[in-house]
Amino acid sequence: MGFITFENVEREYHIGESIIKAVDGINFNISRGTFNVVLGQSGAGKTTLLNLLGGMDSPTSGKIVVNGKEISGMSEYKLTEYRRTQIGFVFQFYNLVPNLTALENVQLAEEICCDPLDARDMLRRVGLENRMDNFPSQLSGGEQQRVSIARALAKNPQIVLCDEPTGALDSETGRKVLRLIRTVSNDLGKTVIVVTHNAPISEMANVVLHMRDGKIDKVQFNEHPKDVEEIVW
Amino acid sequence: MVKGALFKKSLRDMQKSKSQFISIFIMATLAVFIMTGLDSIWYTVDKHADAMYESTNLSDLWITVMNPSEQQLWGVSRIDGVDLVEKRFTIDADTDLPGDPVLHVYALDDRSTLDQPELEEGMFRKGGGGVVLDSKFAEVHKLKLGDYISIKINGKWLRLQVDGLALSSEHVFAVKNSASITPNPSEYGFAIVSTGALESAYGQKVYNQISVKTTSDIDSAQVVQKAGEVVGDEMIGITLQKDSSSVSSVNSRIQQFKTLSVVFPMLFLLVTALITQSTMTRMIENQRSQIGILKALGYSKHSILWHYTSYGIIVGVLGSIFGLLTGPNIFGRIMVLQLNLTLNSYSLKINYGHFLFVLILILMCTGGVSFSACRKLLSDTPAVLLRDKPPKKGQHIFLEAIPSLWQKMKFSSKLIARNIVKNKGRLIMSTIGVMGCTSVIISALTVRTTLSGISDYTYGTTFIFDEKVVLDTTKTNSRYLKNLELDGITQQIEESALQVIFPDGSHKMEPVSITTGESPLVHLQDIDGNPVALPENGILMTRKLCSERDLNKDDVIQIKLTDKGYVSVPIVEIAYIASGQGIYMTDTYWESLGETFKPTALMIKWNGEPDQKFLNNDIVEDSATRESMQDSLSSSVGVVNFAVILLIILGSSLAFVVLYNTGILNFVERTRDLATLRVLGFHHSEIKYLVLIENYLSVFLGILAGIPVGRFISWIIASSIDERLDLLGNINLRDVLIAGVMTMFFAWIVNRIIADKMKEIDIFEALKSVE
Repeated sequence: MGFITFENVEREYHIGESIIKAVDGINFNISRGTFNVVLGQSGAGKTTLLNLLGGMDSPTSGKIVVNGKEISGMSEYKLTEYRRTQIGFVFQFYNLVPNLTALENVQLAEEICCDPLDARDMLRRVGLENRMDNFPSQLSGGEQQRVSIARALAKNPQIVLCDEPTGALDSETGRKVLRLIRTVSNDLGKTVIVVTHNAPISEMANVVLHMRDGKIDKVQFNEHPKDVEEIVW
Repeated sequence: MVKGALFKKSLRDMQKSKSQFISIFIMATLAVFIMTGLDSIWYTVDKHADAMYESTNLSDLWITVMNPSEQQLWGVSRIDGVDLVEKRFTIDADTDLPGDPVLHVYALDDRSTLDQPELEEGMFRKGGGGVVLDSKFAEVHKLKLGDYISIKINGKWLRLQVDGLALSSEHVFAVKNSASITPNPSEYGFAIVSTGALESAYGQKVYNQISVKTTSDIDSAQVVQKAGEVVGDEMIGITLQKDSSSVSSVNSRIQQFKTLSVVFPMLFLLVTALITQSTMTRMIENQRSQIGILKALGYSKHSILWHYTSYGIIVGVLGSIFGLLTGPNIFGRIMVLQLNLTLNSYSLKINYGHFLFVLILILMCTGGVSFSACRKLLSDTPAVLLRDKPPKKGQHIFLEAIPSLWQKMKFSSKLIARNIVKNKGRLIMSTIGVMGCTSVIISALTVRTTLSGISDYTYGTTFIFDEKVVLDTTKTNSRYLKNLELDGITQQIEESALQVIFPDGSHKMEPVSITTGESPLVHLQDIDGNPVALPENGILMTRKLCSERDLNKDDVIQIKLTDKGYVSVPIVEIAYIASGQGIYMTDTYWESLGETFKPTALMIKWNGEPDQKFLNNDIVEDSATRESMQDSLSSSVGVVNFAVILLIILGSSLAFVVLYNTGILNFVERTRDLATLRVLGFHHSEIKYLVLIENYLSVFLGILAGIPVGRFISWIIASSIDERLDLLGNINLRDVLIAGVMTMFFAWIVNRIIADKMKEIDIFEALKSVE
């Protein structure tokens, strides 16, 4: 059994009369400390997968086990605790709290975790030591995403989930951000899962889960993941 | 109105922000509801009372003089501005009815035209031997036309047949004496008879008043002065229509509601303006690009401006109309009846002039505010407006200047602090709303407490007798009373009224109490509670009368002596008396002016059981225990309970609406931030406080601000509630605490509702793109 295990996971949504299976019987294992990409077109079910893994949604059936604990079927409160302690989240649109400075956005993680990492140190790691007291509105998109990464990692989570982290950035900045995610999580031994529709990104992953129509089409293992610099998109 | 498409857009926009627009509507409705409601109360009373004064031909002034001579009458009629002069006789008479009620009897001449009864049933047979009876009195005592009633006049019982039932302009609001606050038809009423009907009691026709009707354009003060000269030393006093007991009570009610109809709606108008401001500013910011599109499509500045202004106008007009329909009909209709006035009609009159005025105010608060919120954006070109909204800015705040404090604060406190500073307007709005709530409740409770405190103060501190006995003055005198040898402490008092000329030249009859210098049963105090003794070298005046007349210690007034002219007397002391305003002096001072002390009542504090034998004595006309007087004073306070409940409902609606609004706005605007925090692992309860603490802060500030404002409103109400009562309107800790706890309770309910709404925050909102 892996660090993260999905067993026959299904998630149905009722929209009016019709039932849509966003995730339709998924099985996979992910090992600790790896860099993984979930790849698929929009509507393939990757966001649902991310939501299920991130504890924001529960499967209709099947079993999700993370770090030896089953999270499928947890109560709302327990799921919040799970998100709080185990998950770091990097959003497509950064989602920084506009009323807090960069430093304070990272510090907010300190307040809810039992074993947080130092916020200033995290910002230094993402190269923002000089922008700590700036508000999000004073930062560029790439800088905001770096704050978001620092915030995700400062919680010292087991898993870092990234939802299209480069989606709103130009390719050069996107590249920098991806490298940052990779190196920092490598240094800290975190398990990373990046959800994207951007195929080239998958070349830098240890494991790529190809999704289509709510199912896993193919699981691809890269013996030698490429460095970000080698990838072109 | 606006072109079709734009109008549809406004309706849909309002639908989208319905809670805000409903709030604006409710506030506008309440403002107009209260304003037109309170306004209709005094307007209705004013119109109907005036109509009654007109139809009964109420005199403009009455000159009290025993058996006025033809010469005096002729003299008065020759005074410039005097239209008509008649003479009549008035006296209080006991009846044989259960409960010993008193009738105020008016005996009119056969050809009289002034001060006529407003007949409801039967007729007034001038020159006949019957009586026209107070219809309310008759109703309570189950008397009908044709029944007989016995009244005691000059010690003789007269049996009179009821010829008519009527109202009287002098008894629209009539109380038996200064110990009663509200009219009680079971104990006091009026009777109108022909002067001939009383001949058997006196052996001849008697008169004690000259009724005078003046032309409308004349200065009554001049007539009063000249009448005094014409009638001479025999004159006892002159009462102007506006100073007469009923008319002045009615006028003070009118004044009271006029004041309230200005004070209360102000709060609601202010909140209406603030809510409109916050709603429209937000809407227009959100519709920035839409405004750009409209401009790009070629809509003129003018029509876009009108489009957004119309939001406020539509809601304001709807609210005003709804308020106008409900205010007078619900609020007015109920309150007019609560006033205890006896009018010939209570049909509601609405002052449309004032309604138009408040409508304009409302439209300024809604439409005007919307207009100004929109105008700012219109100067930008469509290209600028269509570009992305500048991102929401964070802002450093003053607290950060104190690093030791700021660094210790949790992120949540920092977030709350920055958010509050950013949305100062909203905090001010909810603080004002809460302030309104607290202050209205404080004033309602304070008025109630002060009113009920009057009876304790009057009969616990000022007067401490067990029993007050009204004496038959023809059968007793001061020396006789001194030698009564009753088992207890007694104190003699003479209660009457004196014609007074104040330093400003005005003439008025004022109540006067003369009692012994040694005063075991009447303990006067100044405003601070220090004992005040009756002076030997002048008079004591009550604080309220002094402040009404702008008098101070050592000022000199003139009082009219019996069958003599005026004498100047200095005000040596001023005392605070809750109920019973007037002039107080010692018997020795009174006699030093050449008068005789003729006690009209005896106050007694028994050592043991009341002396029943004495109480049944011939010299005793009437007696009342302190408890019964205290009860009748406090029972009348029950009337205000209704008003208190009404005010609490109105006040709480203020708090509800503003807190709900700020709470909802506060989280709707930040849904995305809050959803992000939820994704990051914050629990619902933690997120909740990020929003609700702001509400609690405004509740805290609002309650603090509400205390002085409540003090101020209490003071306004207390000073205008009744001219015979000296109400201080001081707030006390208990009422403030109750008001505070109630406000917090309302806030707690609103916050629970908002917290419930916040549970609906969609966590996936965080993953969506920015709109």
